[in-house]
Amino acid sequence: MPDDEPSALRQLARLSTIGISLVAATAIGLLIGYGLDRLLGTAPWLTMVFALFGIAAGFLNLFRDVGLIGKTRR
Amino acid sequence: MATETNAKASGGKSVWMVLAALVVANLLVGFFLAPRHVGLHHVPLIQLPNFLAPLGVPGEWLPPHITFTWLVMALLVVFGLVVGRGLRAVPGPLQNFAEVVIEGFYGLLDQMIGRQGRQFLPLVGTAGLFILTSNLLANIPGFQPPTANWNTTIALALTVFISYNYFGIRKHGLLNYLKHFCGPIWWLAPLMFPIEFIGHLARPVSLSIRLFGNIFGEESVVTILLGLSWLVMPYLIWLGVMLPLSLFTAAVQTFVFIMLTMVYIAGAVEEGHGEEHH
Repeated sequence: MPDDEPSALRQLARLSTIGISLVAATAIGLLIGYGLDRLLGTAPWLTMVFALFGIAAGFLNLFRDVGLIGKTRR
Repeated sequence: MATETNAKASGGKSVWMVLAALVVANLLVGFFLAPRHVGLHHVPLIQLPNFLAPLGVPGEWLPPHITFTWLVMALLVVFGLVVGRGLRAVPGPLQNFAEVVIEGFYGLLDQMIGRQGRQFLPLVGTAGLFILTSNLLANIPGFQPPTANWNTTIALALTVFISYNYFGIRKHGLLNYLKHFCGPIWWLAPLMFPIEFIGHLARPVSLSIRLFGNIFGEESVVTILLGLSWLVMPYLIWLGVMLPLSLFTAAVQTFVFIMLTMVYIAGAVEEGHGEEHH
């Protein structure tokens, strides 16, 4: 069975991740930054940096799921 | 291929029979038990006294999602034992059904992960059967699906998360596995590692929230509709719209969960594999 012909349900499974994983990645980045800030006392900086990491991770997931950067499976 | 289509056909038939049985059961019992249908705000049908109180679990009764988790576990274990004890060369209907299910999982695993996919059947199959059974439980009056509680789904998602990372580490070794997090360009690694790390951490969260949100939302709507079932119209709406919809949701959410599990496992097990060996 060829891998590059995903069925509708498989595409649904991949695409239904997009909305939530974008938010989840951002929130988790923010939480990690916030926790580190409280731990190390470096007030806003780590929160900002990790929130940006989280946003980047969210968009990376997004692009991967949509297939712009898609992992080309042989 | 021929056996596959045969299996699919008979599988389709038994699925329809199960669906028809569910609908008939709902028609017969549903109207009288409808106000009790909703576990979310009413007393569920099955309750166990809280024998875990010494361990600090609050309340007079055990939380319903735990009771029903055990119920689903009991159902699956009994089914497995009955089928496993009575294995015969010429399968009866029960064994046939079990074989169709297992074959279906094998087909998905082969398709998604490839040659090495079949070793992951225990994880994927258990998760799939557990989620499907609990989701379908929502359609029996007086029962409450354990997947409508975030505690259950986050436990499932964390199991999947830890497992696929373990599979990846077992396959590639810890250092090689961590190397996949760093991306292809070495001077981008300090940037890529936290991004990939957060991206991986987001997976169990999105996996669990999707399942919990779908089932809980559907249960909430059913709760409201059936709470008003003495008006007859909400009951008909539930019968005509929500019941088929929730059967569909149960199947689709199960499918999405195991599909993503397999995608994650495939990513952990395969990534970079090609560069090293070919």
